[in-house]
Amino acid sequence: MTTGILKDWTSRSNKIERIWLLAKIEFKLRYYESKLGLFWALLKPVLDIIIYYIGFKIILKSDIPAFASYLFVGFLFWIFFTESTGGTINILESKRHLYEYSNMNKLEIYISTLLSTAIGFFFNFIMFLLFYFLLEPESKPLGINMIYVAPLFLNVYILGLAFSLILSNLFIMAKDIRQIWQVFVNFLFFVSPLFFKLSDFRAAVPGLDYVNPVAGIIINARRAILDNEPPDWPLFYFDFAYSIFFLLVGLILLNKLGKKAAEKL
Amino acid sequence: MTSNEQFALVAKNISKTFHITEDNHNTVKHRLFNLFNPPRRKEIEAIKMVSLEIKKGECVGLIGRNGCGKSTLVKLLAGVYPTDTGYLKINGTTMLMNLGVGMSHELTARENIYVSASVLGLKIKEVDKIFDKIIDFAELRDMVDTKIKYFSSGMVARLGFSIAVNAGADIMFLDEIFAVGDMKFQEKAIKVFESSWIEGKTVVLVSHSMEVVRKYCSRAGFMKNGEMKFFGDKETAIQMYLEDNQ
Repeated sequence: MTTGILKDWTSRSNKIERIWLLAKIEFKLRYYESKLGLFWALLKPVLDIIIYYIGFKIILKSDIPAFASYLFVGFLFWIFFTESTGGTINILESKRHLYEYSNMNKLEIYISTLLSTAIGFFFNFIMFLLFYFLLEPESKPLGINMIYVAPLFLNVYILGLAFSLILSNLFIMAKDIRQIWQVFVNFLFFVSPLFFKLSDFRAAVPGLDYVNPVAGIIINARRAILDNEPPDWPLFYFDFAYSIFFLLVGLILLNKLGKKAAEKL
Repeated sequence: MTSNEQFALVAKNISKTFHITEDNHNTVKHRLFNLFNPPRRKEIEAIKMVSLEIKKGECVGLIGRNGCGKSTLVKLLAGVYPTDTGYLKINGTTMLMNLGVGMSHELTARENIYVSASVLGLKIKEVDKIFDKIIDFAELRDMVDTKIKYFSSGMVARLGFSIAVNAGADIMFLDEIFAVGDMKFQEKAIKVFESSWIEGKTVVLVSHSMEVVRKYCSRAGFMKNGEMKFFGDKETAIQMYLEDNQ
């Protein structure tokens, strides 16, 4: 019955079609308008990985096995999170043409913009799989636990959406939230286990993997992809609850502040 | 059909006050440094307790002198601005058209047509069907894949009008649209109004042309200083507007 209602809703409404159309156009604007285009989107994580590989493996002699892949998985999720948050702070200003002349639901603008970032994630994930099987000398066959990448991606999508809503709505009241967020992301970068060994990371500041929601997602993604292990369940559920809580905060802000976007921005 | 469903718009005691500050503290730094020195605030009551009901399929005119609140009221009724007080029920999608409709200058004419029509509730297949009509009406066949930032303002306005006419929302707000385009295009725009296009659509028409209001509207509202002084018979509204202009 539920699927019947859903099918009826999607066939009558053009919401899903519209979100997909906006996502495709956003993706094209982001990657096809520059000289390097989509190539740059694929190259960026690879370059990040080379830099950290040189720093941590070659110079600091990190003993993490399959270190390049370890970095790659972490950066896949990290880049999605930073692009979907920092990249959308002024979304209500840059996309005002969509809501200024009609009563379109603003939430659709967020969902579609993050969907275009998700397309980028998808391409990067394919790049990772190619790298893992063709170039990684310590690669292991992928196992059944790989399926957990889907809920983990859903988790980072909800988290990205939540912070995108919070930041862009605060931007209506205070423009320099952008600079504050840049500093915060820098801090978050160093308190996430992107290039640290997990045991060192956990020993240094116990509980940090729970306080920082991106950390939990990265830890579980590595378990699922590189170690063929199911997620750390308490961490998995905690991160979902964390994201949903912030999503609710974001939705409240959209409701309270977002409606003033047309007159304030 | 319940009484609420036969109305496209129901507004009861809606109002809007703009809080204007002389020095806008819109950064955290400014807010902190000026914690004990709040900016001087000014309040402008743009709309004062307006109530009206517009039936589905009705064309209603809004008249009044410059600065009387017509455009603000239209933005409230279209759901673009939130109201401060009262109750507002909008039954359907809305489209506000003044000198342009919501178009991104970074997109091509083709992309803008698809995005705008989709925002108005059309499915992609439906847009495919009316796409050529929109382009031909706007006289932009050669520029279809050009970004509209390279268009002249008249061309952008023509595209906007063409999307509005051919795609159309459930409720259309047309704010001085007859000022769009050159003479040839204006004649075309008037022809659209003379055809059956307007029939069956809910239209709120803001105009300074009494001829236009008299010809196309069934009722009209006269506004002054943010108040709806009269809403009903168009001849009475026009008479009040003419007296106000003397």
